[in-house]
Amino acid sequence: MQKEPITLTYDAIVIGGGIAGGEAALNLANNGYKVVLVESRLSVGGKMIMLSKVFPTLDCSACITTPKVSEISRHPNIKIFTESDITSIDKLGEQSFVVKMTQRPRYVVAEDCTACQLCEQACPVIVKDQFQYGLVGRKAVYIPFSIASPKVAAIDIDNCTLCGACEKVCPPGCIDFTMKPKEYIFNVKTAIVATGFRLYDPTNVPRYSYGTAKNVITSIQMERLLAPTRPFHTILRSSDGKVPDKIAYVLCAGSRDDSMGNPICSQICCMYSIKQAQLLLGALPMADITIYYIDIRAFGKGYDEFYEQAVSMGVRFVKGKIGKITEKENGNLTLRYEDVATGKLKEAEHDMVVLSVGVKPNKEAADLFKSHKLELDGLSFVKQSDPLLSPAKTSIDGVFVAGAATGPKDIPDSILSAGAASTEAISYLNQKSQ
Amino acid sequence: MSRINTKFGKELKRYGAVDFNKCYNCGTCTAVCSLSTGEDSFPRSMVRLSETGDKKGVESSLKPWLCYYCGDCSVNCPQTADPGELMMSLRRWLTAKYDWTGLSGLFHRSGLANIIAMILVAVGVIVYSFTQSFDQEGIMHFAHLFEMYAIATVFAVILLPNIIRMWYMTVVKPGYKVPFKAYYKSAGELFVHMFTQKRSLGCDDNQARWFAHFVLVIGYLTLLFTTVFLDWFSNESIFVNLLGYAVSAVVFIVTFVFVLGRIKQKHQVSKKSRPSDWFFVIWLFLMGVTAFFVKVFIDLEILENNFWLFLLHFTILVQWAVIIVPFGKWTHFLYRSFAMYFDKLRKSVPAESAKK
Repeated sequence: MQKEPITLTYDAIVIGGGIAGGEAALNLANNGYKVVLVESRLSVGGKMIMLSKVFPTLDCSACITTPKVSEISRHPNIKIFTESDITSIDKLGEQSFVVKMTQRPRYVVAEDCTACQLCEQACPVIVKDQFQYGLVGRKAVYIPFSIASPKVAAIDIDNCTLCGACEKVCPPGCIDFTMKPKEYIFNVKTAIVATGFRLYDPTNVPRYSYGTAKNVITSIQMERLLAPTRPFHTILRSSDGKVPDKIAYVLCAGSRDDSMGNPICSQICCMYSIKQAQLLLGALPMADITIYYIDIRAFGKGYDEFYEQAVSMGVRFVKGKIGKITEKENGNLTLRYEDVATGKLKEAEHDMVVLSVGVKPNKEAADLFKSHKLELDGLSFVKQSDPLLSPAKTSIDGVFVAGAATGPKDIPDSILSAGAASTEAISYLNQKSQ
Repeated sequence: MSRINTKFGKELKRYGAVDFNKCYNCGTCTAVCSLSTGEDSFPRSMVRLSETGDKKGVESSLKPWLCYYCGDCSVNCPQTADPGELMMSLRRWLTAKYDWTGLSGLFHRSGLANIIAMILVAVGVIVYSFTQSFDQEGIMHFAHLFEMYAIATVFAVILLPNIIRMWYMTVVKPGYKVPFKAYYKSAGELFVHMFTQKRSLGCDDNQARWFAHFVLVIGYLTLLFTTVFLDWFSNESIFVNLLGYAVSAVVFIVTFVFVLGRIKQKHQVSKKSRPSDWFFVIWLFLMGVTAFFVKVFIDLEILENNFWLFLLHFTILVQWAVIIVPFGKWTHFLYRSFAMYFDKLRKSVPAESAKK
């Protein structure tokens, strides 16, 4: 470990490099402020960069995220740290914050890596690819995904056997197993929390058989199957590689459900399921798509029309929450539900089931703040001190919040809230120092 | 014409229903229920009737009796609306509805009414014993006669009319024209369910609960038979004596486990106990225990000096026979099996004639 932490000074720190954090950083940078953007994963872009298309416009998500990401990456006023964890944030006074951060080693010299992928080919270790949500494998040395930013290899040291094969083939010789974590201290004037959300883990609901029945997948896995940067070139089900032709969506899998530990509506599941259903009808024109729902919540601009479009395309909507999913010998799944319209208990067979998983908070954000308390709401999302009139303000003056850190949000709302947070931060920076 | 009746919900809450109006009609409860079927789907349909206050719908429904309360619906309810407990309180409400005297309703709603009735009966027994100057032989003889007369009277005056009322509400009034032949053709159903409770085996993971309950029912019925018809307390036969010991022990051991379950509240079914539930298991336990020790005292020939024990047993017996059997939870023994019988009758009629 280095002897002394590196101390740097910026106007603002943005915590989280998803679409909300990126947008907030960009707004600040375009206004002339120096921004440091801290991302805990290997690439910025958050969840949006992984998506297929976005509702209700059906724009290609990767195609609209990557220009934004590259703008952030190249901006002279923005410094990005990936693979980095903030350890503490202390507020010394107004417009004076001290942030401590550790950057984990990548074991690859980022500046020298050309993303040639020769190391990937040489590596003998295969593990599940977390960026493809376990659908395919990756090597222990790997480029996170094809449109990652920075597009630089990294070594997954927990799975690496230290065989040295990658080191031998790397043309610029940028693999360095001696890398150590780097400590940084930032002096900043304001902070924006954009820590986003995590997806509900459906293994909490054994009756949905996720993890035991191979052809039950989550909506983010389906998102990967549909994306332009997808692992296969069609939709395949996991058990036998068959192209499915009877796909079911289970809405509210981990939302609006006390018994599953998440009582609130996740706001995005109805719409992304409707979107995926439409994309599936494009990808598999002969497939039957059924969406099992409690209520369809299509509240945004153009959303209801988008739902109507799905109905007219032939997507079946059935009112009734799925109670049980059981796997059959051939890998097909039996779904047990009450058809609420008729009051009859029914069973339906599908060859693939998508759980439309809900949105849960990233509770860790609050632990970063040491001198002052960043308050959370009852569900552990970041609490907005004035949700109606200043939705970006938090319990700490000078700390603002953007995106899904305050609760479930779709992309347009996340971008809007990032705009609000950056504007509030600029106002704060322009206040006369007390 | 149907109208929403919000008062019904309040009425049900006096029978133990909680939070069922939180329901947002997702159907999870029905979908996870292992006894629910395509045509007989519950509990959501019953939650709906309760929410809208459709008393007639509830009254004519047999669904509450088709549920054996495994609690899966309540555990998995997204709204924690506790549909399982609603089904339980509907059974209590129906028990009250079937009873022409109205006392069942009183005892299912109010713990105080139970306590007062229990005290009155106890006082009655003590006063009677006092008038007999605590003459052991006379009282024991009377007690034995009382058992027989109580069974006959309670059955003829309370239980039989109530079952006829249940039949009227669930078969006649809704318009099922059941042919006479079906009544004796389906009679087997009645006895099979009365003595085996086999439907409850359909609940998920219910083998142990079913077995304990089955042993208790058989034990209880055998104890009844041994004491009343074989006169266990004065019988000399070794076989009858041992049988009596065995079954009274079965009754108090199993009920002890049940009481413990209600105290520990480990399973959904025993999480919310009403006074009528407590009185039922505790009195059954006390009956078994006191009968067992009365017989021990008789065999050791020390009952004469400990006559209080017999009086205690007799008091519990009278309380059981005049309060719990006719108006308490005991009646579920009949209503459950008759519900299966009536359900079979209703299904023997083609659907059109039922609709009218």
